[in-house]
Amino acid sequence: MTAYVNPGLSSLKIDGRRRRRNGRSLRNAAIVFITVLWVLPVLWIMATAFKPPSEAAGLALWFKPTLSNLFASFGVPYLLGSRLLNSILVTAGTLAIAIPVSTAAAYAFSRFRFPGGSAAPLVLLATQFLPPVIIVIPLFVVFRNLGMLDTRLALVIANLSFVVPYATWMIKGFFDGLPVDMEEAAQIDGASRLMALWSVVVPVAVPGIATAAIFSFVVSWNEFFYALVLTRDHAVTLPVALMSARSEQGDAWEIMATMGLFIIAPMLVISRFVQRYFVAGLVSGAVR
Amino acid sequence: MAAVRLVSVEKRWGDVVGVARQSLEIADGEFMVFLGPSGCGKTTTMRMVAGLEEPSGGEIWIGDRDVTDALPKDRDVAMVFQNYGLYPHLTVGDNIGYPLRIRGHSRSERKTQVLEVARKVELEHLLERRPRDLSGGQRQRVALARAIVRRPQVFLMDEPLSNLDAKLRVSMRAEIRRLQAELRITTIYVTHDQIEAMTLADRIVVMKGGVIQQVGTPAEVYGRPANLFVAGFVGSPPMNLMPAVVQEGRLRVAGQSVGAVPVPAAEGVDLVLGIRPEDLVIVPPDEADLRGQVYMFELTGDAVLVTIDVGTSRICVRGDRHLRHGIGDAIGLRLDPQHCHFFDGQTQKRLQLD
Repeated sequence: MTAYVNPGLSSLKIDGRRRRRNGRSLRNAAIVFITVLWVLPVLWIMATAFKPPSEAAGLALWFKPTLSNLFASFGVPYLLGSRLLNSILVTAGTLAIAIPVSTAAAYAFSRFRFPGGSAAPLVLLATQFLPPVIIVIPLFVVFRNLGMLDTRLALVIANLSFVVPYATWMIKGFFDGLPVDMEEAAQIDGASRLMALWSVVVPVAVPGIATAAIFSFVVSWNEFFYALVLTRDHAVTLPVALMSARSEQGDAWEIMATMGLFIIAPMLVISRFVQRYFVAGLVSGAVR
Repeated sequence: MAAVRLVSVEKRWGDVVGVARQSLEIADGEFMVFLGPSGCGKTTTMRMVAGLEEPSGGEIWIGDRDVTDALPKDRDVAMVFQNYGLYPHLTVGDNIGYPLRIRGHSRSERKTQVLEVARKVELEHLLERRPRDLSGGQRQRVALARAIVRRPQVFLMDEPLSNLDAKLRVSMRAEIRRLQAELRITTIYVTHDQIEAMTLADRIVVMKGGVIQQVGTPAEVYGRPANLFVAGFVGSPPMNLMPAVVQEGRLRVAGQSVGAVPVPAAEGVDLVLGIRPEDLVIVPPDEADLRGQVYMFELTGDAVLVTIDVGTSRICVRGDRHLRHGIGDAIGLRLDPQHCHFFDGQTQKRLQLD
């Protein structure tokens, strides 16, 4: 430390500090702005869900909250309860099949050599380049002939057609990054290939698999188009149910908002996990 | 414990030959080292024994069992990988106990055995840690412990020390040798480090381009290299190799006539004279068999290395650590006929003189 301070130097230092402080506040303002931009519609939907129908279309910020929309949504004709159940069962069914299938497929693509082996994953992905409008017509015909229209199983199958390819790719990317040593060690230690996959590869790949599962959950929970075409009464899911709030008598915004709440809620909960697992996925990785 | 036999084993990928068709026998309890530069097929050969690579032809026997088509888990071998191959989600204790768990041993049985081997490799205080919390040397010991916990018939080690620093490598090398001597388990050890090969092996297999060049004890491989490749690969600094030819009944080496060495071949045959740096003696030029100038002079601590230009050849001599020479000094070398190795310049094979 010296007692002598160069006046020019110290003013430079203050300048730098001021500039840094300005930069930081500018950044904070930008963060607040973007956050508000994203959160405001969600807050608006939440508010609308608790507004009396007469005020639903208004811009009033102050209103007397009511639960009547909630009760109305669960009643006829909206049937939120059964729609919610459909959404839960279809999504759960999709995940229950998609994740094990995708994990196994990803492992095979990542580890086995077979004719056309490098092309197969690309072909799998290429199937997703077709617009759903083209696929939905043959799907409709097939399900009609099988008597499966308006069933949850048909929706699960339709969802699998786009969830499995993406999930397979996500998990494959994760498997590719894992050293082969571990599973070879497991096989020499006495495990079968399947056992090595289950007891060594999968536990290490949990962050990757969880990320794929969350992604699959989100897309199949929000899936609208196939559900719109393939269901009518029994298997209608939440996103399609929203449509039922539009009628000749006008649009029931408060009902849509209430249903919207139920669609959004799991996303909000899940976003917490996504963050945790994405971070975990980044920092984990095998021991070298 | 069991002998390992490779019978006409080969490995091809399309037209590429990984390991040429050849046979090899490894005795029960023997420590066999596969030595060679990278890509020489040593690891592939070992992986075929492990069952991780399928041979394109031939048979592999462990003891009296033909295991050519057996799965790795059914071969009763254990392997230590270059990158350790530990299970990152399991504790050290669970890593070591994994082979027992997968074979359905009870928890209490596992605990006793894990503790026993952990003690053997001095890991008993780290059993609750995870691999990522360990140093390289400790991870290597976990991998070793996992390999010995169930007393396999054969140990396979794939360059297990190459990720360790030099000092740790020396101590782990001793550790591995001691464990193997104690357990007397047939061991195949792959390395490109000839010091490891010399110090560890009962016998060494030197490989190049998928072909076995020589099989022998360390003393044989070092003292009687079978061809030019082995002569140049084993030893540090490597053996000096100089062109030689017989002219008018005398041996000419690097353009100089050497009378002291008996003539090894017929007149005019293309020869290579090999001589190890420690077998050459530096003498005054007028008493010498070969004369040259000092090109480089290095002190390694326990010895000096003098690099000398002799004609078109540059040769290295290991001398007494008190020796001093300036660059460019005229210098003489005496050859001891007993330590001269001759190779056929065409076939590159060793000439048997006796």
